[in-house]
Amino acid sequence: MSEARPILEFDGVTKWYGSVAALLDVSFDVRTDVVGLVGKNGVGKSTLMKLAVGLLAPSQGQVRVCGAQAQTLDARARIGFCPDFDRLYEPLSGVEFVAWMLRYHGFSRAAARRRAEEVLAELGLEENMHRRIREYSKGMRQRVRLGQALAHGPSFVLLDEPMTGLDPVARADLSEHIRALPARGVGVLVSSHVLHELEAVVDRVVLVHQGRLLAQGRIGELRERMPDRPHRLRLRASELRALAAELAQWTPVEGVAVREDALEVSLLGQRDFYERLTALGAGWPGGLHEITPLDDDLAAVFGYLVE
Amino acid sequence: MTTTEASGATPARPGMLGTALESARQTLWMLRYRRVLWIVPLALVLLFLFALVVSGRARGSIDGAHLTCVLAWWGLGTVLVPWATLYLGVQAVHGELEDRTSQYLFLRPVRRLPLLLGKWLAVSLVSALIGCAGVVALFLGVGARPDMWSDGLDPSLIGTYALVLTMGAFAYAAAAALFAATFRRPLAWAAFFVVGVQMLAANLPVSAGMRRLTITDPLRRVLLDQLEPTRRLAEDLWPAERAEARELDDLPASLTLQAGSPLVDLITFVVVCLAFASWRYSRTEYESRSRD
Repeated sequence: MSEARPILEFDGVTKWYGSVAALLDVSFDVRTDVVGLVGKNGVGKSTLMKLAVGLLAPSQGQVRVCGAQAQTLDARARIGFCPDFDRLYEPLSGVEFVAWMLRYHGFSRAAARRRAEEVLAELGLEENMHRRIREYSKGMRQRVRLGQALAHGPSFVLLDEPMTGLDPVARADLSEHIRALPARGVGVLVSSHVLHELEAVVDRVVLVHQGRLLAQGRIGELRERMPDRPHRLRLRASELRALAAELAQWTPVEGVAVREDALEVSLLGQRDFYERLTALGAGWPGGLHEITPLDDDLAAVFGYLVE
Repeated sequence: MTTTEASGATPARPGMLGTALESARQTLWMLRYRRVLWIVPLALVLLFLFALVVSGRARGSIDGAHLTCVLAWWGLGTVLVPWATLYLGVQAVHGELEDRTSQYLFLRPVRRLPLLLGKWLAVSLVSALIGCAGVVALFLGVGARPDMWSDGLDPSLIGTYALVLTMGAFAYAAAAALFAATFRRPLAWAAFFVVGVQMLAANLPVSAGMRRLTITDPLRRVLLDQLEPTRRLAEDLWPAERAEARELDDLPASLTLQAGSPLVDLITFVVVCLAFASWRYSRTEYESRSRD
């Protein structure tokens, strides 16, 4: 999926607001994949987004989009940005707003209108695109914001908290749209506080904390890079106490605790644990009902890294 | 969906002129929704009625042309057009910066200078239209009593004032763009400019250079040059110059491009304001601090 040439490159980027460093020496890239930007509030996520779309200039380092400096017109022509704030041109209809933005990309008035209608229909707004934006629900407004980011056919899209305010169905739809973008040659950088939803969408993550890049890569890989952090998993089976006694003998097992109707097992390294557990489960009375990793998700990885 | 491959041949990006015109069109469209503009028709009717009443009371003591000139200058030239233009200009530029919707524009592959010029153009046109409509309303109000006009009704006054107010609209819109792009409280600065700087400068000698930092002074010079007023009318339009009214004769003709002419002063004012405004507007960054 991911092509060799980066679409977005951060190369040693530092951004100062007066004497406060919002970002310090950040380097990463985005190709034709979906990259999640993760960090707590105020750690520099929004600054990073605005640097990527050229709304801010880096104090040091370079931000490039498809090889061009992020603040150039060439770069801006290839970027789509869905901001996190909920303001639009309220008196206009959704289709008018998107068409207005397209006019600055060189679309004729008729072509802009046609394109805006196409995009909003694809985003599920076909029945409401001609209503005034001020009458829209949050989900509809989010679709309009997304529409203006996608309508001109960008190579790279930034989505700042795109799930905010959406109902579960709309979130699922949006996730589907985002997942489909790399197949069309579009790189995506998406930030969200809803980590489990982000996890379902992204190929890789970039973790930012206190203005610094904490880690980047696939979530599983990042977890693997923390051997000093015990993996935790939950097991459900019959004969829990006997199972706990059995597992406590195994080398990688650091601890076993019985929690109501399940065992919580801490592992230092996984080595052949899962092969042995499978073999054990095959002969265990009643079998193993459930094996669930408890800290292989994005939230756990992020939590460990921030600690 | 909406992607590079979907777009096919990429359209050519609009140039400076295309961007400015599109920005002007969009600004005009958005100005339609400003509620303050809804009261303009009502204000014009009130202006007409005011002129009608005042001319009725002044009948016999003042000439109709004289009254029209005084009302148009003091009512429109120094109050309605400046305030309407500054308000609309600030809303068009600063309003979008404050509510962040200008980010949508700044993300487009166009320069910010033509975006700003388009807004300036749109606000200037609307204000000029308001000014011209106001002159017509005043003229009709005073003209409803033809016996007051010793030399008969003089429709050329409408043209003269329309010209002056249009020039004023463009100049005030440039000042509004500067305040809006530069300050966090642009309306306060606009008030300071109109009430403070202009009033202060209006009381300086004709030769004072600071007059060129204002809009009213060159406008008044254009007006006096175009009207060729009686001494009394000149004094009513420019009370601070009563003692030095003779100096008016030494000033360059108003609509020439000669150094020191009011037209050149106004053009200089507009260019300087727009240059600074554009510089500030182009450097506007959206920092993490809230603009709300």
